[in-house]
Amino acid sequence: MAGRGKLIAVIGDEDTVTGFLLGGIGELNKNRHPNFLVVEKDTTINEIEDTFRSLGSIPGSVAEANPSQHDPPLWDEIDSWQFLNRDDIGIILINQYIAEMVRHALDAHQHSIPAVLEIPSKEHPYDAAKDSILRRARGMFTAEDLR
Amino acid sequence: MAALDLRAELDALLLQLLGDLEELEGKRAVLNARVEEGWLSLAKARYAMGTKSVGPLQYASHMEPQVCLQASEAQEGLQKFKVVRSGVHAPEEVGPREAALRRRKGPTKTPEPQSSEAPRDPLNWFGILVPHSLRQAQASFWDGLQLAADIASLQNRIDWGRSQLRGLQEKLKQLEPGAA
Repeated sequence: MAGRGKLIAVIGDEDTVTGFLLGGIGELNKNRHPNFLVVEKDTTINEIEDTFRSLGSIPGSVAEANPSQHDPPLWDEIDSWQFLNRDDIGIILINQYIAEMVRHALDAHQHSIPAVLEIPSKEHPYDAAKDSILRRARGMFTAEDLR
Repeated sequence: MAALDLRAELDALLLQLLGDLEELEGKRAVLNARVEEGWLSLAKARYAMGTKSVGPLQYASHMEPQVCLQASEAQEGLQKFKVVRSGVHAPEEVGPREAALRRRKGPTKTPEPQSSEAPRDPLNWFGILVPHSLRQAQASFWDGLQLAADIASLQNRIDWGRSQLRGLQEKLKQLEPGAA
């Protein structure tokens, strides 16, 4: 669809994903992967990380630099997700407690697109001290800079 | 003199950054409030419809996004986001496309409709008559999406400002190595 624009992806608990899908962001058809992931009790950190990387389009060279961080059988799955090709996502919404599980992946994401937004969950209120963006902003100034 | 200009530019950038951070904090608080309202409305809908009636089991097997993002580049790689409804299409043209006589008999060539089917409202996944609380949840999360786009734009602006600030500080150190 020409000029359709980018999608909003969401990685979160059931209520968060259901809510944002109600808002109309969901995409799912026979040929493409969904732009959402419902994180349940049995969802592994690897699954979350793989989904995030697939949505975040982290360059393959960065992912391959740490092959030991991925189980070998998962490598084929990562290729099949074609995370390098997901350039249609503009924003990734992620519950903050889930973001904490994959904090290293979030911190490694330096691109402006897709933008990553951490949102609270029902059991875990938003903590600005943990937000990647605000932590980077906090490190902007040192005592020497302000002299 | 160049150092003075740089310092003035640095001060202006710093003020802008602090303003952006304050605006970000404000918008975040509103987003968090909208999302919490949405959860409460979802809980009310679940109470009315049944525990298993509002959840992933009701997701459609085929989804088309009703909401999309338009990303525009404001300046020097700075991305700005805007939420648009993708279900809005130009009005379909009705009537003869060519100035020609219509034939009453013979095979009629009806042109295929060009506009694609409008995306289905996700509310319909949960039934035809849904409780008002589910509509309220949809409205809350829709507001949340608008705010999310604004917050994403602000975050990009803060990141961009941060890199500009670093660049200016480096230049200043080169001009005034003694001051560092």
